[in-house]
Amino acid sequence: MSDMVKGNHAFAEAAVRAGARFYAGYPITPSTEIMEYLSTRMEEVGGVFIQAENEGASMNILTGASASGVRCFTASSSVGMTLKQEAISHMADSDLPFLAFNVVRYGNGLGTLDTGQSDYHRDTRGGGSGDYRCIVLAPYSIPEAVELISVGFDLSDQYLVGTIIHTEAALGQMMEPCDMPEMKTVERRFGAIDGTYSHKRISPLTRNRLEEAVEMKERYERIKANEQRWESEYVEDADYVLVAYGLAGRSVIGAVKQLREEGHKVGYIRPITLWPYPEKAFEAVNPEVKGYISVEENATGQMVDDIALTLKKTSQASKDVFALTYAYGVPAMKKIKADFIRITKGEIKEVY
Amino acid sequence: MKEIVFAGLGGQGILTSGLVISQIAVAKGMNATWIPQYGAAMRGGTANCTVKFGEGMVYNPAQEEPDILLAMNNPSFQKFVGIVAPGGTVIVDSALVNCDTAVRDDITVIGIPSTEMALEIGHAKGANIIMAGLIAKVSGDFTEEEGLKGMNEMFKKKGKGKFEEINSKAFKLGYNFVK
Repeated sequence: MSDMVKGNHAFAEAAVRAGARFYAGYPITPSTEIMEYLSTRMEEVGGVFIQAENEGASMNILTGASASGVRCFTASSSVGMTLKQEAISHMADSDLPFLAFNVVRYGNGLGTLDTGQSDYHRDTRGGGSGDYRCIVLAPYSIPEAVELISVGFDLSDQYLVGTIIHTEAALGQMMEPCDMPEMKTVERRFGAIDGTYSHKRISPLTRNRLEEAVEMKERYERIKANEQRWESEYVEDADYVLVAYGLAGRSVIGAVKQLREEGHKVGYIRPITLWPYPEKAFEAVNPEVKGYISVEENATGQMVDDIALTLKKTSQASKDVFALTYAYGVPAMKKIKADFIRITKGEIKEVY
Repeated sequence: MKEIVFAGLGGQGILTSGLVISQIAVAKGMNATWIPQYGAAMRGGTANCTVKFGEGMVYNPAQEEPDILLAMNNPSFQKFVGIVAPGGTVIVDSALVNCDTAVRDDITVIGIPSTEMALEIGHAKGANIIMAGLIAKVSGDFTEEEGLKGMNEMFKKKGKGKFEEINSKAFKLGYNFVK
């Protein structure tokens, strides 16, 4: 059995083992231990570690690294990720892959130091100006995060997009046993820069932006078709399906299992990709289901929108969609169960 | 699945005490999670962590309803005594927690002078280890040997193997404090 390991440390080591050899970032609670760990670890494996003067600069540095074909990544938290969005949009414009950890802390503006899921909309819609998306992966445990980090780097290289590991303060700060994968050797990707001005996006004068937009749309459609990931259980006969990701998803699984034992026909869908949203998961649900319940660690309800949109696409638009929102902290199983009962009694109004 | 909340003053080794218990569980082949109270904190301020362990998957790693509460000062006792599961146990340092502890009749309170006991064996910072020993016993999930093995392996890997003898002594004191 492996030892207890802190989430942020495991994330950093997993990125190194996935072959990443370039890190640039700027510290911010609750993601800082990722960077602290890498400050010595990168040197051990012959990689590059840069603490930049601010978040924006660190992402611009990453643009150069990715353009050179190196597997590269950054880490930050909520408001820090906001400051990286300009460069992220530029990287999307140049088809430059990267991986970024967003160890979400709840709140607006500077926010708080508490855990939360308040960046769902921002991260799943690209984040900066423009017309792009990043693949968004949401682990619910440290071992799953370690697995998804390697997957995320590979998807970024395959589709030439950014990947966000969308996690949260509590997962970064907590500990649980986790085995580390073997060290992977990754060949340097053909980058944008090869000294010959041959890359199609080097010069704005020679770009055909209409063709690029059409190709990008086609690429995103392929991602949506091929890369949806989720976990679900008990949905075939469910009266209600609870939908939640990350640590809220973990709590929901426990709540659903207890509710099942108590005789309630409930199921769950735990999205692992937040973009692309796992629409296919909803196709297996009992056609007679009474409603869907989004369980989120925020106050306003964000993912609930994607559930409603998905139901429209899967011809379930008439189904009720509820949101149980819990700002500050991972929702307790007993709280989720109690609020589920309130929904069945009509005490909580549907959002859609 | 067991849930234990460790709470006290920053600097008392509360977080380490929790980590020892989680590592003992993992060494026995169980699943475990350890989650700290995070956010702004300072030396001398309050600190707490929640440990869950058991055979199956740990679902919500955060606080729900602890089976055992360790309170190393009055504010910790007062803050968390209300969430302890009915039938649960509260362990307090009897010298440091001097508020009224008879506030619920559905829980057991164990007072132990862990800080004094640590001083007596010449391990001034060992109260948290004595407490880990007592918690390992009260949980009913570990033999003394399993506890010692899990704890000593953990400290050895952290480069603190030289304290093994004194830590073992402290752990045994706590483990054998109750029958």
